[in-house]
Amino acid sequence: MNETRAGTWQAWIEPIGDDPEALSAADIARTRLAAGARLGDLRRARLIEISGSARDRGGVEALLHDSALIYNPHKERCHVRRDAAEPVPGAPPDTRLLLVTERGRTRRPAIERWWSRAARERVTAREGMVWALRFEAGADAESMSRELGTLRDPRHGLFCNPFAQAMDASGARAPVPWIGDEDDRAGRGVTR
Amino acid sequence: MSASVAVIQLPGVNCERETAAAIEAAGLSATVFAGTRAPEDLRGFDAFVIPGGFSYQDRVRAGALAAKHPIVGVLAEEADRGKPVLGICNGAQVLVEAGLVPGGAGVELALARNRMPARDGYYTRWIRVRVEETPCVFARGLEPGLVIPLPMAHGEGRFVGATGRMEALEAAGQIPFRYARSDGRVATEFPDDPNGSERAAAGVCNARGNVLALMPHPERAIARDAVARSIAGAWSAPAPCDLDAGAGGPGPGLLLFRALREHLEDA
Repeated sequence: MNETRAGTWQAWIEPIGDDPEALSAADIARTRLAAGARLGDLRRARLIEISGSARDRGGVEALLHDSALIYNPHKERCHVRRDAAEPVPGAPPDTRLLLVTERGRTRRPAIERWWSRAARERVTAREGMVWALRFEAGADAESMSRELGTLRDPRHGLFCNPFAQAMDASGARAPVPWIGDEDDRAGRGVTR
Repeated sequence: MSASVAVIQLPGVNCERETAAAIEAAGLSATVFAGTRAPEDLRGFDAFVIPGGFSYQDRVRAGALAAKHPIVGVLAEEADRGKPVLGICNGAQVLVEAGLVPGGAGVELALARNRMPARDGYYTRWIRVRVEETPCVFARGLEPGLVIPLPMAHGEGRFVGATGRMEALEAAGQIPFRYARSDGRVATEFPDDPNGSERAAAGVCNARGNVLALMPHPERAIARDAVARSIAGAWSAPAPCDLDAGAGGPGPGLLLFRALREHLEDA
C-alpha cells in the first residue's frame, strides 16, 4: 500500500430491494454451472474506495449521501468501512467475497472531480464489483467461489472474464484498501 | 427454396427485426426464433444470427448470461457441423463469452469496455472496416482491402486476449474485418478505431470461418441512403444492382448477408 492509499474509506453500495442482477446470476450459477449447484445466497455490492480524505466517518457518510453521483439513497444503501476489522454489511462469517475490477481502469475521475469541488480535498477514487457468495453447509466454499468466479467456458465461471477483468477473493472481512493500484492489474489473463 | 436462417431473440435483444429484414433482402428466409422455444427446434435451420441489443440487460457483463443459455449450446453443436453463425454486437459478445469465437479451448477473448481518449462508456458512429484475407464465410467473395462503411454502437466492443493471441488470430486470417482509415489503411487511433480494439479488430471468426463475432451493425446498412454521407465514399451514389434492398439501392452491410447466401447455396 503506498502512501496515497493510507486512510482509505470503503463505500459498500447495495440495492435496497431485490437485486435483479444478483438474482439472474444466482439462477444461472445454480442451473448451468458445475460449481453452482450448492450455491445458497448471492449478493452484489459496488465497492468504491476513497483514499486521501481527512474527513471523519460522519463527514464521509454525509458527502457520499449528498453526492447524487456515487449512489442513490432512494434505492441503494451505503455502508462505510475504514478498517478490515469492521464487518462487511450483510456478510456472515461463512461468506466468500469476490472482487472484480476492470483491468487497468479502476480509477473514477468523475468522483475525484466531484469530491474536489464538494469537499475541497484531493482524493483518489477506485471502483469494483463485489459478489458475496454463501454455500450450503459442508460445501468447499473457497474453491467453489473461485470456480464460479473466473470464466473458463460455458460451464465454468461467470463473474470475471480474465481477459478484461481482474478478480481477488476474500473471506467475510475484506481488506481495506482492497482495490489495487491500476498498474498492478494491467496485465492480462491472470487472476490473483 | 431459399435457405433458412434463425434470428435468435433472447430477452433484451432489440435488433431482430432489422436483422431478419437484412437476411430477407439478401435472398434468404429469416425466422425470428424466440428464446422461449425448445432449443432443439433450431436443428432444422441452415444458419443462425444472434442480433444486437442488451440480452439479459447486460447483467453481470454484456453477453455473460446469454452465453450460458441452452440455445447457445445448440448453436455450438451446429457450428461444429459447419453451419454458419453470426453474432452482431451483443451477439458477438455472447459468442465470445461462450467461447465459440475464436473457438479454441474455452473462452480465450473478452469484449472489454471501450478505450477512448477523454470519454468513457457507450459510443456510436459510422466507421469503416477493411476486409482482410480470411476463410470467413461472411467475407466470401469480398476482395481483401475492400473498405465498407458500417455503423457501430456499443460500450463494450474492444477485443482483447492473452498476450499474443490477437496477433496469432490475425496471422491465421481470423480477423476478417478491421477498423480502417479513410485511405483504407488499418486504423491506429480513435475515432477510426472507435474502441481501442487490439489489432483494430472489428470482427473475429473461428478457424473454420463459419462463426463470426462482429461488433459493427451490417443490418443497419443494407440501404445506401442510410449510409452517412460523410463516410460513404464509393457508397454515396446509387448504383444498379440485382438486389432490391431499399432506398438508393443495396447498401454495404448487405455484402455480408449476400456472402452468407452464396455460401449456403454452395453448401
